Amino acid sequence: MIRSSAVSLALGYVALGITALVLFAAPLWYAWRVTIQEGRQEILQADAQRLTDVYRREGVGGLKSYIDTRVGMQIAGDRILLLADSSLHPLAGNLAMWPASVPLNPGNYVLPVVIGDQPPETALVHVAVVGTNILLVGRFNTIFASLQTHFWYGLAAAIAVLSIAGLLVGVITRRALMSRVNSIRQTVSAIIHGDLQHRLPTQLQDDELNILSRTINGMLEQIELLVHGVRNVSNSIAHDLRTPLAELRSRLEELALIRPPPEQTFAEIDGAVADVDQVIRIFDALLRLAEIDAGMRRSGFVALDISDLAANAVEFYAPAAELKNIHLGFRSDGPLSVSGDPVLLAQALSNLIDNSLKYAPVNGMIQVAVLKQGDGSVEVSVTDNGPGIAESEKSKVVERFYRGDASRGTPGVGLGLSLVQAVAKLHGSTLRLSDQNPGLRVALTLPLETTGMAEAAAAAPAAGAARIDVELTPAAQPR
Amino acid sequence: MKILLVEDNERVSQFVTKGLQEAGHTTDHTANGRDGMFLAASEPYDVIIMDRMLPGEIDGLAIIEVLRKAGKRTPILILSALSEVDDRIRGLRSGGDDYLTKPFAFGELLARIDALHRRAQSVNTEIPLTVGDLHMDPLTRKVTRGTRPITLQPREFKLLEYLMRHAGQVVTRTMLLENVWDYHFDPQTNVVDVHISKLRQKIDAEFERPLLRTVRNAGYTVTADD
Repeated sequence: MIRSSAVSLALGYVALGITALVLFAAPLWYAWRVTIQEGRQEILQADAQRLTDVYRREGVGGLKSYIDTRVGMQIAGDRILLLADSSLHPLAGNLAMWPASVPLNPGNYVLPVVIGDQPPETALVHVAVVGTNILLVGRFNTIFASLQTHFWYGLAAAIAVLSIAGLLVGVITRRALMSRVNSIRQTVSAIIHGDLQHRLPTQLQDDELNILSRTINGMLEQIELLVHGVRNVSNSIAHDLRTPLAELRSRLEELALIRPPPEQTFAEIDGAVADVDQVIRIFDALLRLAEIDAGMRRSGFVALDISDLAANAVEFYAPAAELKNIHLGFRSDGPLSVSGDPVLLAQALSNLIDNSLKYAPVNGMIQVAVLKQGDGSVEVSVTDNGPGIAESEKSKVVERFYRGDASRGTPGVGLGLSLVQAVAKLHGSTLRLSDQNPGLRVALTLPLETTGMAEAAAAAPAAGAARIDVELTPAAQPR
Repeated sequence: MKILLVEDNERVSQFVTKGLQEAGHTTDHTANGRDGMFLAASEPYDVIIMDRMLPGEIDGLAIIEVLRKAGKRTPILILSALSEVDDRIRGLRSGGDDYLTKPFAFGELLARIDALHRRAQSVNTEIPLTVGDLHMDPLTRKVTRGTRPITLQPREFKLLEYLMRHAGQVVTRTMLLENVWDYHFDPQTNVVDVHISKLRQKIDAEFERPLLRTVRNAGYTVTADD
């Protein structure tokens, strides 16, 4: 229990509190002892002096009557006054006899004095010699004794309250902490045993455990996403690699069984090689995706002109578009420097254009645009007037191996958009899919390179003036 | 052509050696890096095919680095099962001249070896190129077939130039993508074929003898021979 952080913290606070109390009480105690006692002694001394003066002026008789008057007037019972002769026989005062404990030498004393048959009480006593007589002036410490007792009791009570409260708080805090730690422990052990859906309990306030729990929950979220992704990918690999492998296997098995004439055998072998190539292609795409997802390609980032890169991609696909009689247009705000991976960005753009080419209708149109945004970023977009993607499918198309209903029967392995998505993510962007009614617009945003921006600005003093429109394919070109 | 093959996989070695011999090349083969380095340093080869990952202490890239430091300029093609872009860059940086990922089509390997050999022989990029009655002047950028001038787009010019520099050899689609467009990925569709057919329209359409020919299962070649 002592090793619990909450209890040891509470104990530490208690010790600190007690130390503070003692540090506060000690000088107070000292001041009381010294200052007040000395002051009272001075009063006693002055009193004795006054009585001595009376003796000098009026003799023993005068002093006796003076003392008697004083004793008669005395209200408080804590004063001692005694005038005795040399044989210690009392002459005047409120004591019946010279107290045995008081020495006969003049001076100040603090000692217990016994009056009658009462228990001894501490008194402050001043003894003076007056002629042949001896004078005792004193005062019991009774009121101060109770003050002193109160002081000690107060101190003890304060320490006690502090200790008990501290321990109590410690124990309660420990209980509360332990219950929360236990619930975290239970959740975590559930997660360890494979149930990734559990989350640590959190409350609204921003205490340390909550902050920690929220951070851990964020981590769990990411882990679950990744695990889910891996599970998905392995399922997809299983499906999408199994299919061509199964085809390949049956093709070869059939060949071995039937042993057709050479002509047909060679054709079948060619088909088998094509099957293998398809498997390799899927494999390469998956590896590339894994490579991008691992974030390893960040090392390949260089400053590049995204307009030039897009223009090249458009030019690359222009003859293919022409073949389908699709108008492939390109718009850009002139040279725009961004930091990125040229190979991956080119592949992403080519995937997007390739996709649009697949879905845009004959005589359709595709528009590629690289435009500067107000916030210092560049938006790269590919727009087509194909069938578009249904709202419900938008989030699915970036998933690996997902192929929309519209794509059934078209070639492709269903990794195109997920690769574009991964490339966008690597470049700190996300893929935005929007409807063109009809058609699809896919866009991603890249931050402008600041150094490159100066170059671009130098090359194009007015942003709008540099906009170039390239029409690579005449809209209506009868073939 | 005398070719050194450093490859530890027996099946792949047999397949490559047999193919190269059928294509009329002499081949030396070794399965370990130490012998590979010794042979490469002592024998005059036209092209070296080097596997990246070899058994023993020395790997393919280390051998290439040593050879290059020793002043050997033999063209080297790296074979590797590592397909990541960084691996390719690392391979070329170590002194390799070309990089081919396993698994590969034999036609691709053969075409690349021919291209490497050709590149090592002729480096003059200013000499006019001629294939049959097709002429190209890289300096003035003029192309003529017979007496008729042919107008080409810049990229078409680059495509034809690459094909003519490798006249008589097979050039694969991947080689065209890498060298004409600088694209180091597979665009999935037959875009290269479309570019070729456009180019063919311009240089071959109205002539009796086609110069730009398709080689089945391999790629293209520009040749005046039959």
